[in-house]
Amino acid sequence: MQRLLIANRGEIARRIIRTARAMGIHTIAVHSEIDRSAPHVHDADEALLVESYLDIDAAIGAAQATGADAIHPGYGFLSERAAFAQAVEDAGLTLVGPSARVMEQMGRKDAARAIAEEAGVAVVPSYDLAADASTFDYPVLVKAAAGGGGKGMRIVRAEGEYAEALASAKREAAAAFGDDTMLIEKYVESGRHVEVQVLADSHGNVVHLFERDCSTQRRHQKVLEEAPAPTITAEQREEVTSAAVALTKQVGYENAGTVEFLLDNATGKTYFLEMNTRLQVEHPVTELVTGVDLVELQLLVASGEALPISQDDIQLDGHAIEARIYAEDSFGGFLPQAGTAELVRWPANARVDAALESGQVVSTSYDPMLGKVIAHGRDREEARRRLLAALDETAVLGFTTNVGFLRVLVATDEFRDATIDTAWLDRAEVAAPSDDLARTIAAWVPAMLAADHGDQGAFRSDGFRLSAAPAPTRVELDRVVLVDRARGLVDDVPVTQFSAANHVVRLEVAGRRVQAVVNATAHSVEVVVEGQRFVFERPDPFAGAGIAVGEGSLTAPMPGTVLAVDVAEGDAVEEGQRLGVLEAMKMELALKAPFAGTVTTVGAQAGEQVALKALLFEVTPDE
Amino acid sequence: MTSEFQTLVDELRDRTERVRQGGSEAARTKHTDRGKMLARDRIDGLLDPGSPFLELSPLAAYGMYDDGRDDAYAVPSASIVTGIGRVEGRECVIVANDATVKGGTYYPITVKKHLRAQEVARANKLPCIYLVDSGGAFLPMQDEVFPDKEHFGRIFFNQANLSREGIPQLAAVMGSCTAGGAYVPAMSDETVIVRNQGTIFLGGPPLVKAATGEVVTAEELGGGDVHARTSGVVDHLAEDDAHALQIIRSIVNTLPRPTTSVVAEVEEPVADPHELYDVVPTDTRTPYDVREVIKRIVDASRFHEFKQLYAETLVCGFARIWGHDVGIVANNGILFSESARKGAHFIELCNQRRTPIVFLQNITGFMVGKEYENGGIARDGAKLVTAVACSVVPKFTVVIGGSFGAGNYGMCGRAYDPRFLWMWPNARISVMGGEQAASVLATVRRDGIEGKGGAWSAEDEEAFKAPIRDQYEHQGSPYYSTARLWDDGIIDPLDTRRVLGMGLAAAANAPIPEPSYGIWRM
Repeated sequence: MQRLLIANRGEIARRIIRTARAMGIHTIAVHSEIDRSAPHVHDADEALLVESYLDIDAAIGAAQATGADAIHPGYGFLSERAAFAQAVEDAGLTLVGPSARVMEQMGRKDAARAIAEEAGVAVVPSYDLAADASTFDYPVLVKAAAGGGGKGMRIVRAEGEYAEALASAKREAAAAFGDDTMLIEKYVESGRHVEVQVLADSHGNVVHLFERDCSTQRRHQKVLEEAPAPTITAEQREEVTSAAVALTKQVGYENAGTVEFLLDNATGKTYFLEMNTRLQVEHPVTELVTGVDLVELQLLVASGEALPISQDDIQLDGHAIEARIYAEDSFGGFLPQAGTAELVRWPANARVDAALESGQVVSTSYDPMLGKVIAHGRDREEARRRLLAALDETAVLGFTTNVGFLRVLVATDEFRDATIDTAWLDRAEVAAPSDDLARTIAAWVPAMLAADHGDQGAFRSDGFRLSAAPAPTRVELDRVVLVDRARGLVDDVPVTQFSAANHVVRLEVAGRRVQAVVNATAHSVEVVVEGQRFVFERPDPFAGAGIAVGEGSLTAPMPGTVLAVDVAEGDAVEEGQRLGVLEAMKMELALKAPFAGTVTTVGAQAGEQVALKALLFEVTPDE
Repeated sequence: MTSEFQTLVDELRDRTERVRQGGSEAARTKHTDRGKMLARDRIDGLLDPGSPFLELSPLAAYGMYDDGRDDAYAVPSASIVTGIGRVEGRECVIVANDATVKGGTYYPITVKKHLRAQEVARANKLPCIYLVDSGGAFLPMQDEVFPDKEHFGRIFFNQANLSREGIPQLAAVMGSCTAGGAYVPAMSDETVIVRNQGTIFLGGPPLVKAATGEVVTAEELGGGDVHARTSGVVDHLAEDDAHALQIIRSIVNTLPRPTTSVVAEVEEPVADPHELYDVVPTDTRTPYDVREVIKRIVDASRFHEFKQLYAETLVCGFARIWGHDVGIVANNGILFSESARKGAHFIELCNQRRTPIVFLQNITGFMVGKEYENGGIARDGAKLVTAVACSVVPKFTVVIGGSFGAGNYGMCGRAYDPRFLWMWPNARISVMGGEQAASVLATVRRDGIEGKGGAWSAEDEEAFKAPIRDQYEHQGSPYYSTARLWDDGIIDPLDTRRVLGMGLAAAANAPIPEPSYGIWRM
């Protein structure tokens, strides 16, 4: 393998390019129009424009045009499309991944399940669609055979809900995957998501690289992933790793794959869920605890070489935890965010697989994942503390990310104690951090900038007063905050500054050491502290549309004719409610209540001619 | 051990702290309970974050209106706060009524302080911002407030003429603005009013009722909505004090920018300014070398002295203060003919170079005696007074010791229009020393008594002289001076460099014309 095309974008494309280049392989990126100057394009040796990352013909065409001999699909996009694997094979190219045949088999949950059963791997008890729903052991899970990502999936707790849940899951699956085949299986109320990383070569060698635990999920989307699994027993580990290897051998799998299991907290039983026939998002945690470069081994295996390591070579070293960074407002309904990343700061003391740089525009066209922060420690607690520190150093300004949410989550007792099951995030409330700390920092920084970086002449901003202590600096944010730099107080909260450079400030606030990234402009102060972004708008005296007339008087803005009167004296009205219509100068003007209250005066009747400024209505606000 | 100077400075800070509070606690509580900000808080809210404020004469009216029921603080700061601060990056003169002091009414000295602020604005071409909250003239003293040239009407005369000169006049009506006071906003270029709080009318509701029988509320008569929507007396309607101040800032932001002069990089003095307390004796009669003061005030303690070896009682030279070039004229003893000529020469130099001049005044007067009068010391003194009077460059005077007799004139006393004049707390100011005055008057009296053949005992003479000494002691105090606005404030010597720097920065806003003089008596 000499020339590798990476049919992907973002952090995974960069990740693959990194190893390929280290191995002396020429790297070719593809990119869409809006990714023209994306980081992965800059990293590659060569780049080619494609219509879409999902276009199989374009990817093959790009590989042929650039003389690539192999294609790495990354994850997502074409990575698990058997048709793509087939097209690569047909074009005489090498796919860094399993064969189209295996992908086809494992890609379908019903087929995968059958294969697992053949390999003697325990699967979650399932029910025939044709069976009597009253015989099911509720709760049961209805899910799309072609599904993934939680789409086309329903939990049914009682027989009565079954029919409707099945119908809606089918509709969703049809829309999402074009296939509404459904499976019904026993639903494990409290379980942990455990998955085994496997690697297989074309010489019949299969090894596992231990397991990962991805139980911290939200609506089946992984949030935090770690290796090894924190709660797993030696027996369970033996069970899942040997089952994964058996399954891999059974299906004749090649390259890197992941076998997912559900660990039932109540019974301790493990069930096969599915096999992912690609490199996983969370592969770095395995790399950190095993010291193996999975992409390197993928490329070697794809080149037809034998695995250079045996099972005995693979030993666990400590613990690693990964946090996925998304452009989303986690405390605001997890809505996806987009915009320009005005400032980006990634942590120095953790592994960062990311594709976001300052000034980059993030659109909603692609997955909102911006990157991953992965911490490694001698044990889980050390890894967790390092991850906390790394998240504290992670900042994206310009739009909101989930870093603050991750920071709070990693700090919870539940995560520390590894009691979070796969449904925990769907039922638990993660408290949003208060804006007090951020406001203190947002006030401190402009005061510091004015004093230390403003005019250094006699009118320097030090609050000098004649024969009196310096006046505190008034910083107008959402409210006025007083910064007393001489005494190191922000509204009576003690603040000490250690350093400030390049938008990053290190402070001690009320005895607590914090690092924040701050962007202060004339219009707003934006602060990211402990991962959470806060924007404090500065007051604009002309922002409002002017103050409404006092006492709720509505007068005729022009001489005209009253067309309609909608209310009578004594009526209660809502803010913005139409009270009447005036016709003047060929325009119809709706007269609306300036605030909620009671109509105390109706000054005209429909059809009446009124003079300029004639009182038409008066509304008295409710007390 | 606390030095004598420290004691004087502590006293200054204590008195300043007291007047900075404004009116009585009850008055302040009543004020803030109505959602209004205190006068100095309004100024803080108007200024750029962290901006310094060069307050003018905070101790005005100190001890002046002692009505027997109150102490020296009957009218703190003369019920008006004035000074220079930065708004939207430019120096502005701010005039804020303090409604917690006698309803913000104008005493005679209040008028003088308001007019002085306008004078500062004119001389330095600084925009004026009036934060209006005043009941108008203090009626019991109307004869000293209303009719004369430098009385209440002059405020509006100044507004009209300052505006004509291109010096922006901005007002925020944050309380009453009655009768003549109504003209402050009306005469302004751009005006803001606070809704349900600011009122403007020529006659208030009681007067209206008395005159015409019409019963009307203050808000209906001249409230914010009325003036913003109907009368057009104001241009902007604000929700509250903070909003009004934001609007004023926004207005200042729209003003044309002055051309800024380039100044040298600022260097702190090498000699520690804190040593001023030790190198300067508090007794003005004890001689010391004024260069010890200069090197604790100027940048890098660097002083390029002019005619160091000639007429050593007047020290002249060039230096920088906060990056601004200055000429310094400082007393180092009594003025002789050659000192006066040296001073006149140096002042001409400064004018020729458009370099501002700082006078460090510590002068008992010109030398007297037959030899000196016959030598024409008055002729040379006239040269110095001519040079000072006709200077076109900004002048700054700091009285660091005594200010007596014609020395006050030659060293740019208040009558010589320095842009600013400050006093140290050890300063003394009078036409002559108390002892000298008592002696002169006693001699005249003794001559009268003895001319009629009478006799005057030593005891009687002492009884005659004691009250004269006391009077001079009382009236020579810097607090007596600052109360009457003979100066712009008493300053801590440690702040000398800073206030001079701010004064120089403010003065840099006004262009310096061509120098010219009258007839020199040669």
